[in-house]
Amino acid sequence: MNLHTALVKIEEEKISSEKAKQFITSKKNGAESIFIGRVRNENSGKKVKAVTYDAHYQAVIKSFQSICNNAKNKFDKNAKIFLEHAKGYAPVGEISILIAVGSGHRDEAFKICRYILEEVKHQSPIWKKEHYVDGREEWLLGHSLRPKKEI
Amino acid sequence: MEIQLKLYGSSKMLNDKDTLNIQLPENSNIEKLRDILNKIISTKHSKSNLKDLSKTAAFFSEKNEVVNDNYKLKDKESISIIPPIGGG
Repeated sequence: MNLHTALVKIEEEKISSEKAKQFITSKKNGAESIFIGRVRNENSGKKVKAVTYDAHYQAVIKSFQSICNNAKNKFDKNAKIFLEHAKGYAPVGEISILIAVGSGHRDEAFKICRYILEEVKHQSPIWKKEHYVDGREEWLLGHSLRPKKEI
Repeated sequence: MEIQLKLYGSSKMLNDKDTLNIQLPENSNIEKLRDILNKIISTKHSKSNLKDLSKTAAFFSEKNEVVNDNYKLKDKESISIIPPIGGG
């Protein structure tokens, strides 16, 4: 099995870099690239205490699998890929996304990692609501999936 | 006819529940749904940051695929509203 994708209910389970490393390790691979995104304590001058991630579960899983398979076809068909994203309430410091790639060579490993991150941001129906230290909260604006010819 | 709108992201501000039932004329399509949604936002949520939602949102059918504005809605159909996304 060369592909693992999941949405993780972050109040019940943590996203684990150890689990990701174990998944991608292979004697066939000479390079491993890992990207970890975390909830940070500031955005646009506002002090953030947590982020709630909402997601359309079925469409996210479908998009994750499509993105990862496209990445393999584009860069390295034998790559091992681990992709998990948080769902639910994640305090500052919590891992929001983890992408781990094991590949034959470093160039492909880096490229696959970057490709997956950018495509998730543009394709996967996931939303962020920031919770601020002063008690306010706000859904962040993002990328529209409405067909461009209709807008 | 009536459809059930499944709410995600910022559209959850439209209701206390995760769904919103919307009354539409017979044979309505997604374009009509956008009109009705715009009216709901203008009358009940004018102070929120939802003002562009009816234009920027995509809609998923029950097959979880984006449908275009000509898509004909059926009575009791369940449609997901997909506000602009931003994970990662």
